Parts: sequence; C-alpha cells; structure tokens
Amino acid sequence: MVWRFSWCLLAWLCAISAAPAYAIERYQTDIGPTPLDGSNRVNVLGRGFARATLDGQKFTLQGIFAGLATPATQAHLCMGNVMGGTGPVIHDLTVTPAQNGEVSGTVTLTAEQVAGLKRGKIYLLLDSQKAPKGNLWGWFQPAHKRVGADVPQQGSWYIPNILEDEAGMNKKKPQG
Amino acid sequence: MKHREHYLRRIPTAIGAAILLPGLATGIWISHALAQSPARPGPFTEAQAEAGRAAYAQNCARCHDSGEAPPLSGAGFLNVWGARTTRDLFSRVKDTMPVDNPGTLGNDTVASIVAYLLKNNGATAGAAAFTPTTGLALNAILPPPASQQSAQSGAGRRGRAASGDQEEPDTASASGGPVSADAELRRGVVRFKTGVTVEGTVPKYAPITDEMMAHPPASDWLMHYWNYAGWSHSPLKQINARNVRTLQLRWVWSMDEGERQQITPLVHDGVMFLSNNVTNRVQALNAKTGDLIWENTLGPRLTGQQNATRTMALYGDKLFYPATDANLYALDARTGKIVWKLKFSSYGNDKIGGLMVADGKIIAGLGRCDERALADRCFIAAYDVNDGHQIWKFSTVAYSGEPGGDSWGPLTNDQRAGADAWIAGTYDPKLKLTYWGTGQAKSGARGIGDQLYSNATLALDVETGKLKWYYQPAPDENLDLDEVYEKVLVDEGQQQILLSAGKKGILWKLDRATGKFLDYVPAVFQNVFVSIDRTTGRGTYRPDILTAKPGDTRPSCPSPAGGKNWPASSYDPENDLIILPLDQICVASGGMAGNYEAPASDGFIARMSAYRARDFKPVWTFQQRAPFLTSAMTTAGGVGFVGDWDRTFRAFDVKTGKTLWTTRLGTTAQGYPTTYSVDGEQFVAVPTGYNGGSPEVRPVTMLAYERNRPYSGHAVYVFALPKAK
Repeated sequence: MVWRFSWCLLAWLCAISAAPAYAIERYQTDIGPTPLDGSNRVNVLGRGFARATLDGQKFTLQGIFAGLATPATQAHLCMGNVMGGTGPVIHDLTVTPAQNGEVSGTVTLTAEQVAGLKRGKIYLLLDSQKAPKGNLWGWFQPAHKRVGADVPQQGSWYIPNILEDEAGMNKKKPQG
Repeated sequence: MKHREHYLRRIPTAIGAAILLPGLATGIWISHALAQSPARPGPFTEAQAEAGRAAYAQNCARCHDSGEAPPLSGAGFLNVWGARTTRDLFSRVKDTMPVDNPGTLGNDTVASIVAYLLKNNGATAGAAAFTPTTGLALNAILPPPASQQSAQSGAGRRGRAASGDQEEPDTASASGGPVSADAELRRGVVRFKTGVTVEGTVPKYAPITDEMMAHPPASDWLMHYWNYAGWSHSPLKQINARNVRTLQLRWVWSMDEGERQQITPLVHDGVMFLSNNVTNRVQALNAKTGDLIWENTLGPRLTGQQNATRTMALYGDKLFYPATDANLYALDARTGKIVWKLKFSSYGNDKIGGLMVADGKIIAGLGRCDERALADRCFIAAYDVNDGHQIWKFSTVAYSGEPGGDSWGPLTNDQRAGADAWIAGTYDPKLKLTYWGTGQAKSGARGIGDQLYSNATLALDVETGKLKWYYQPAPDENLDLDEVYEKVLVDEGQQQILLSAGKKGILWKLDRATGKFLDYVPAVFQNVFVSIDRTTGRGTYRPDILTAKPGDTRPSCPSPAGGKNWPASSYDPENDLIILPLDQICVASGGMAGNYEAPASDGFIARMSAYRARDFKPVWTFQQRAPFLTSAMTTAGGVGFVGDWDRTFRAFDVKTGKTLWTTRLGTTAQGYPTTYSVDGEQFVAVPTGYNGGSPEVRPVTMLAYERNRPYSGHAVYVFALPKAK
C-alpha cells in the first residue's frame, strides 16, 4: 500500500512538474451594438456576453446573445489595432442562426494574436441579416468582477488601460 | 432624430414626407428657410446636391448634426455666411474639413457638399455645375431666414395651454377689438416682446461683498460652483444621509421651451435667479415659495443657434447675464432692470462661454469664435462691474509676434482658430490667479506645433490678465476632446493643487501656483493616448490618429461626448473626495461611423466615481445606463446629488456612492443642481431641460429603442424635507 501511494504521489508530482509553466487565463466580454447612428439603430439591437479561456495558444470561448432584430448569420474573432478599434477577421466561430442563441469556438491563436489578446485587441463580432458588417461586438478583457446598475464598488474596480509606462510595459492593473 | 422633428411639422406634408424619410436616414438638418419662401436658382446641379447629401452624411453630420459644431442651415448659418461667397464656403470646407482630417476631401466632393448646403438652405438646382471658382454671394441665392419672432407658442407664460383647446368666448374679439392678454394666454398665444415683462422689487437684498464672495454664506448659492475654488459643495447639513430619503417636492417652476437648457439656479437672500435660454428671459423668484418677483425678457428668441447659457453671476447689487447673442448684461438684482450692457463679440456665431466674478471684476470667456475673421479670436476678458468698461483681455489664440505665436507653424493669423473659453473659471484670492480652460484648436492643421493656448489650463493674473502659466496635456488635439472644464482648487497641507478632468476622462493634478504637473488617473477607458509622460503630463496620441485618412475607421474612446464633459465634478472637503460624473461612449469614423459602448463598460454609458484628492486613491464608483447630465453637487450633510438623461434625480452617500433617494422628473435633469436655505429650511434645486451637444445628443441615438422621454419640460424643481408638524 505504501509503495503504491508513493508511486501515485510520485506520478502526480511528475505530472504537475511536466505541466506548462503558464496558468489558464480567463477572459470575458460584454457584447453590445456596433457603432450606432440614427439610420442603423434599428438593425443593431441586442446584447450578449461571452467568457473565454486561454490555455497556451488555445482560445476557447462560449457566449450567449439575445434580442437581435434579425437572425445572426456569422460570428468571428477579429483583432483590432487597439482596444476598442477594429481589424480583420482572424477566426470564424459557430453561432446560432437566430435572434437569440449562442456563439462558441475553440481556435489556436498565433503568438501575435496572443499578445493582441493580452492588450485587449481581440474582439468578438457577430453579424446578422440586416447588419451583415456587424451587429454586436465586444473586446475581451481579463476576467474581472461585474456588478449591476447602481451597485457601488468600493476601493477598486476594473477599467482597461492601454497606457504604456516609461518601460514600455502595458499597465493593466485595475483601479485601486 | 426625434428632437428635430418639431421643425419638420412646418413643412407641407407632401414635401415633408419626401424629405423626412431620407433625411432621417442620413441625419439631415432641415432648415426653417425651406418652409418660408420659394427656392431660388443656385449655381449647382441636382446631381451634385444629391451626391453632396451622401458626402455630408459621411463627413459632416457627426459634428454638425450632433451639436458639436455650428449647424449649417438656418438663421445662425446665414448670419455668418450670408455676406460671403460660395467660393469662400468652398475654400473653408476644402481647407479645414473634416476637422479631424482636414484637406483630404477632393474638389468634386467638396463641390457636392457645397451644393447640398445651398440646396438645404433654400436654393434650387440649376443647369450649371458648381465649381471651385464659382463665386456668388450666398445672400444673392439663398432666401432670408425665417422670422425670429413667433406669434404662436405652445407654452403660456404661466402654465401651458394645449394646442387645440377650445377658445373661450371673448367679447372683445367678437366685437373686432383687441383680445385681452388673459384671453390670449388661454389660447396659448404668447407674443414675444422684450423688456421687463413682470415688474417687481426684491424686498430685502444685501449687496454681495468681496468677503461674501470669498466666504459664501451657507444659505446662499452665489456663484456657478458655489465657491471660488469650484467645489460645487455646500456646507449645509440639515439634509443628511439619514433623512434625505424623506425629501419631498416643494415647488416647480416651468420655463420657456426650446433650445438648450443647462442652467445654474443662483440664490442669494432667499431669491433664486433663473435664465431661460431660448428667450434670454431672466427671472427672480422667491426661493422658498417659487413665486415670481420680476422678469426681464432680454431677447433674442433663439432659432437653432445652439448656444447654452450655463450660468449667470452675482456681485454687489447686480446680476450679470450672458445673452446668447453675446451681449453681456448687468441687471439690478432687485428689479431686473438693465444697468448696463456691452457687446462681448460682434461676430455672428460667437457666444459668451464661462462667466464669473472675481476680485470685483466680471470675467467672461468667448466661445464659438471660429469664424476666422482676423479680429474674431477667442479670449477671456475682465470688465468693471459698475460700468462694463474692459479692464483686461487675454486672447487664447496666440498670433504671430505674441508669446506663443510661434506655436502655430506656418499658419497666418487668420488661419488660427479655436481655444474657446466656454466654461467658467475659478479663482484663488491668495495667489490672485484665475484659472480657465480652453478647447481644442480649430485650425484644421496637425503636427505644426502646440497651437497655443488651445486645450490648456491657463492661470491668469486676475488684476492684469497676464498669463502666469499654462499646462497643455493634449497639444495637437482635433478629436473634439477638450480639456476645458472646471479647475477645482484644493489645499493638501502646504500643497496648493488644481484638479481638472477633460473629455478624455483623465483626471489631472497640477500645482496651481506653478502649473507643474503632479499626477493623473484615467477615470474611464480611453484609447487616444498610448502614453503619458510622467514628468510633463503630456500625452502621446495613437499613431493612426495622427495619420488617418478619409474612409479610415478610426476609433476614439471617449467620443466627443467626453469621458468628462460640462457636468461639473464636486469636491467634498469633509472626505477629501473629488466626485466625477463620467461617460463611457466611443465613436468611430470612416467606414463604420457611429457611437458605441466603451470596452468593459458592460453596456453602462454612465459612471460616477470618487477619488481621494490627495493621492487619487479610488474610493467608490457606480455605473448606470443613462448618462448623467447634471453636475455632481455635495453637501456637508454627507449627501451628493446628480441627475440623468432618463429623468432621474438622485441623492447618494458621498462616502460610499450608495443611492439614498431617487425621484423622476418631467424630462432630462440637465444643468447644475444647487442647494440653499431660507428661514432655516434647506432646499435642493435641480433644473431640467433637453437639447445639448454630444453628452445629450449621442445617448439619444444609443438609447432610442430603450427609453423615451418627452421633448418638453424645461423647469426647475425644488425639494425639501417634510415640514415639521
């Protein structure tokens, strides 16, 4: 018994020592309407939310959406030039072709795309029939606490930060 | 857009229908002139005007139809451009527009935009195409603007008469004689006339002294931000965090409808002074009962000029009022009668921006002075309170040969514009410095220099107007992200600091004696700066912002609605907190133009945050969907107040941000809440109003399918604790 436990313990220790040095990172994004002006507002209704994990270069996301004016047609991962900015499609995702549904996908990011994700440049873009260039979108952020309307947060809260300090490192620490 | 539709009701139905639908689709502003007179032949073709409609929508509408820039139709436009030529208009558009990417539109595109503007102002297409050299005077081809006086109004001066009411029998009119004033009011007819329209005298009014200005009585709200230091904080504490939940409406005063309304109810000796933006009507009310004491209708009556009077000023026995036509009035505070007036600016679109009294002088800033006439540059000036003679003037645009004049690159003086001083300043009586902000440069040029003194905090010697120092965190700004807002003065031990947040939503801290940059904290997400120099406090723009071309989708977070805009912050000295009403809206230009929610905002357009002033430690924050459109106001009772776009006025705990009380008002809470006391009873006043620039207009687009609000309801609401039985 003792040697079996010892072998098991040894095996477990070997397993964890062989595990990657990084931890799985968690991300999230609220997805809201793409840019609105007076004419397109009727076509870009809806909201959603997605969570994701980054395991090495494997990026897995799962999200939901509701309230579209017309059925969803496609969903993509895109990479903008800056957090809050737009850019080309880098991966296609699976989406429910309906006004309410789910979006999901597991993709392998390049090293550049991983770096982009960590700087908030990767965003989810969901198209619909009457908004074929984009109905809902949102930029992935490190997982953080979300609260509802009118709920005060004390002491610290999450606001993304793209400012580089003098050393050129991206400061992503939350307020507080 | 809904708030423009009331103009369209004047257009014959068939024409209105033909124009309305595509007009709404492309955000077109329809001029009064279309309804007024037959169109005249213009030097452009129908095809050009049609192409111009699309080009306008893509390049111009986001500023000129959102309130961020002057409208390009109607009386205001014609006042400025009527005497100029079509060639002048072409050159202006070609050389300086769009403001964030000037000089990039081709000749054909510019010609089509000019053709569209001419058509939109009443000209009809002809056979000959418009060319860059076409040089006709605009007033030769455009009909005159509609009359500025309206014989019909939907609102009576006291109460409101609904359209369609049956007329009461009136023997005077039946006999052919004049209709009585009362009968006219019952029919909803208000004849606009200027002058003292209600005579009265304030029975007891102590002249306001320098001592009172330096140490305002707790019972009063004497100036825009309550004190010289810009705190928007009252020492009153009768209303506190425990009893505020019992607050009740005490009285309401309806105000003139139309145009922007973003006022500050000032109070002294139990008298509340109000200004009605659309009519330039100034009123004095009993602050306890809401009864009107006197009223002076100064005029003019606005028709789409989009000027907002945010505050008046009190000093001595006078009330100073900045009219929307850039006349500055000194009224007898007891009677409302004019003591003196001066023409602050003679140029068509200019408006008096910030206004304050300091060191016994009335000091005001000029805004919208971007018409590029050589003499029309923005400035801050001080006048004698007794007779209005000018004491000093500081031009916020440096000309060649002047200090800072070499910061505009190759631009000649008539090409230098902007640096509007459109928000009231603050004052340090010990340092004898008055602190003002300026808006962005409007030269249309980038990369030529700092364009002083645009987008800066200025410290001026209050006695001479000479510049002591300036701080400019965002030179080369042309995204309409002004750094112009209130300069809040706080003493942290021996250190004399100045706090200010501009549209980028970054809260800056300076040494107010020297202008030395001390610290910053981004209070909302921003992506226009990629770095901020920790020594100088200067921001570096994103490279793509500097090199953007037409058609590029270029995001800007925040949008011109600002992370922070004119709704002022409040400093709570009891807790050393600076409390900021903030917005979280981004904007994209080019191929995917429009407004959108900031990353990580979770759909909350508005945020209210409190930071400890001495070290910018975050203390609390809360978010909501509808943006805040009043300033934050705090009291020594531990209570803060703020109102929002969705008609909610709330009280919150200043230490925690927790909402303690809410009420719904008739329309958007918009302006500057104040608090005062009369006969030992504390009151809280909040103005309501609609129309405004980006912080009011952009949410209209973003919330249109979620929230409805009425486009009427300019008023002041006054609340107090229940009366003791």
